[in-house]
Amino acid sequence: MALPNPALSQIPDSYKFGWHDAEQPRTTFEKGISAEVVAEISRIKDEPKWMTDLRLKAYRHFEARPMPKWGADLSGIDFQDIYYYVTGNSSGAAQSWDDVPDYIRRTYDKLGIPEAEKKYLAGVGGQYDSEVIYHNIREDLEKQGVIFMGTDQALKEHPDLFREYFGTVIPANDNKLAALNTAVWSGGSFIYVPKDVHVELPLQAYFRINTENMGQFERTLIIADEGSSVHYVEGCTAPTYSTASLHSAVVEIIVKKGARVRYTTIQNWSSNVYNLVTKRAVAHEDAVMEWVDGNLGSKVTMKYPSIYLLGERAHGEVLSIAFAGDGQHQDAGGKIIHAAPNTTSLITSKSISKGTGRTSYRGLIKVYPGCERSKSTVRCDALILDDDARSDTYPYMEIDEENVTIGHEATVSKVGSEQLFYLMSRGLSEAEASAMIVNGFIEPIVKELPMEYAVEMNRLIQLQMEGAVG
Amino acid sequence: MTVQTASILDADAIGRISDRFDEPDWLRAHRAAWWKRADATPPPTGQEEEWRRTSLADLPRGAVLLMDVPELETHLPSGAAEHGVILTDLRTAVRDHPKLVERGLGQVDGPASHAHFWALAQAAWTGGLFCYVPRGVSVDGTLVARQTLPRADVAFHPVTLVVAEEDSSVTLLTEVVSPDGAAGWYGGIADVRAGASARVRYADLQQLGDGAWRIGAERVVVGQDAVVTTLNAEVGSRITKLGLDVLMTGKGGTSKVLGILAAGDDQQIDINTVQDLAADHTTSDLLYLSALYDRAHASFYGITNVRHGTKQTSSYQECRNLLLSPQAGAEPIPVLEIAANDILRCGHGATAGAIDPTTLFYAQTRGLDADAAERMIVRGFFEQVVSQIVDETIRERVLAALARRIGAESSDEVAA
Repeated sequence: MALPNPALSQIPDSYKFGWHDAEQPRTTFEKGISAEVVAEISRIKDEPKWMTDLRLKAYRHFEARPMPKWGADLSGIDFQDIYYYVTGNSSGAAQSWDDVPDYIRRTYDKLGIPEAEKKYLAGVGGQYDSEVIYHNIREDLEKQGVIFMGTDQALKEHPDLFREYFGTVIPANDNKLAALNTAVWSGGSFIYVPKDVHVELPLQAYFRINTENMGQFERTLIIADEGSSVHYVEGCTAPTYSTASLHSAVVEIIVKKGARVRYTTIQNWSSNVYNLVTKRAVAHEDAVMEWVDGNLGSKVTMKYPSIYLLGERAHGEVLSIAFAGDGQHQDAGGKIIHAAPNTTSLITSKSISKGTGRTSYRGLIKVYPGCERSKSTVRCDALILDDDARSDTYPYMEIDEENVTIGHEATVSKVGSEQLFYLMSRGLSEAEASAMIVNGFIEPIVKELPMEYAVEMNRLIQLQMEGAVG
Repeated sequence: MTVQTASILDADAIGRISDRFDEPDWLRAHRAAWWKRADATPPPTGQEEEWRRTSLADLPRGAVLLMDVPELETHLPSGAAEHGVILTDLRTAVRDHPKLVERGLGQVDGPASHAHFWALAQAAWTGGLFCYVPRGVSVDGTLVARQTLPRADVAFHPVTLVVAEEDSSVTLLTEVVSPDGAAGWYGGIADVRAGASARVRYADLQQLGDGAWRIGAERVVVGQDAVVTTLNAEVGSRITKLGLDVLMTGKGGTSKVLGILAAGDDQQIDINTVQDLAADHTTSDLLYLSALYDRAHASFYGITNVRHGTKQTSSYQECRNLLLSPQAGAEPIPVLEIAANDILRCGHGATAGAIDPTTLFYAQTRGLDADAAERMIVRGFFEQVVSQIVDETIRERVLAALARRIGAESSDEVAA
């Protein structure tokens, strides 16, 4: 019998994006990090002095700050065994798909990037290792003043706008890995949406790590000016290598008065990647910020998209989905800081652990004194598929204001034998029935995704479920 | 005679406690061994997850150890003694029932987060309670033990040992009261064991003075098919920092872990619980309720730990906080760590917020003034726990203690 979703029927039996290109990258530093490496990255990029200084300052913070002692096991990371800067044979961001070097284009063709663009995407940014190699944006958006380009390019072309916002949401000394990103960042997306401009179709970027022991440290900055709106979608894959790679991005978002930003991530790094990402948004008066965060790949993910509700009536949402298979630890969640009256927030988390996988929901709701009539709801559900799988929930709440309504609920369950029995009595195999239950479990989040991502999410879940018996 | 505690306390001072009470060799050795443990297990630094919300910087470490402990008031229902039930202060028990005490005292570690204070109490106790219910004995009525401290500015580390043997049944209320005023250190610990198929209801009502630092620890072991209800009613103290472990070690055991916190002024209450589901078919449900007035602050960091390989466990953790003043604050953190797949049910809930204004308005339309309406709503809020206190004596004592904070019920409210 066919599965309900036709996209699920053609599933490869191993990590789909696990191939890698044999071409040798051109500019490659020796492994390891030092002040010299940091300065050299800045020199190659021909950056203004303030950025070089900021990088070096951040590097000192990185050296001084301890590794996090909580959360996932990070002992497998050796900061001196990582390449901090790698570029392919292209020089700078190409303007059209045809200008992109063949082997990189083949990589992206396999990922379906240009098709995606032709179909319904407003713009596509692709990052291959450290440099942005392709960036395009539909002309009508450009006419309205929307800026969507690689972050390096934005530093050159919009220096004032860039400097006004860069590092204001996540300062260089925020945490060890954000400091590392600030020191060695390369690539990422820069988006500016002018006042009252609504970007109707999602802007997309795809990130890919191709070099073994490569660290990817992209830096994304999104500014939605007053009354504007934008939806940004990123997907990530990496080939399968035996030694660990590190992805440590920083994403800063400024949602001004009355603006609306949604940021969607489908993270599908291969199982040797440490994915340690700092994502934070500030939402001003009447602004709406939404994080839709799907974590399926990586060896270890530690990522807690945050929203600081700074203006009255600002609203924040985090929709988090995590799937941990054998050997994976997804330590994900969200943080909402209520720093103004009448602010509202919602965190919904769905996690699934399978085999020896472990999911941890880690979240924080903080309400400062004086933030009257703030409301927050946190809802976490976890599904544990196997005897050796594990699921944790760490829901932090700090409430320092009386006149608020704050609630947290969670359930943890296994796939019920009655559910399985019922579905199997309708002709499904046990694996198919399990997959269908899992798909139903994550449905509330998947339906928030753009269509092609919803299809991909379902496909990835199906891939993870291969061989699963409930 | 005075003995100073903690930094000033040393092996000699511990020895002098044994000298003073002319203790048997086994107890002298017991104290010395636990003193070594206390010394080897450093006090929390504030970096530990459980200790991030309570600073020990102002703990009155120099407070004089209370040696001349006033007599423990005990009430044992009539007829119980004839069946071998023991309810007495721990020093008397050492004299009268040395074998039973030696077998039970300090055989185990307490909650990991409070290991230092557990060891300290085992080494430096000068008072405490011994409650023993023999196999197959069911006690009708309520056992009560009430300790009143003569002064506020002392250190006191009593040990409560409760042993309910197989198939026994008992209801016990312990109370502690101390005067308001200077800073003191109350480091009482409780070691409660319910044997197979035992039925135990254990309530602890804390009404320490407003200068007291309660750094307490409690360990409850639930045997096979045993049913245990614990209640911690925390009303007094300046600082309360309680570690409570409920260990579901026997197959089919059930526990209800209840808490009522009523705090005002500058009180800080910080509770760490562990519900350890270590055996198949065990059930553990926790419900903690806090009503917070003035500048009071309540933290709750609880862990439900479902062990790998266990089957068909059920658990819930619920922590609700009613904020009754703009300066009150709450940090409820109910953590789940689940390493098993075959679970019947596991969940948690936490809330914090003020009284719903429409509820308050509704109560006022029924003729209550705002204060009376608030009192009624707070009592209604606590009802979720109070209604689960089956024993009348305990329920009355707890309600009377709560009334000191939330106000007495007036005849108007009854009429309404």
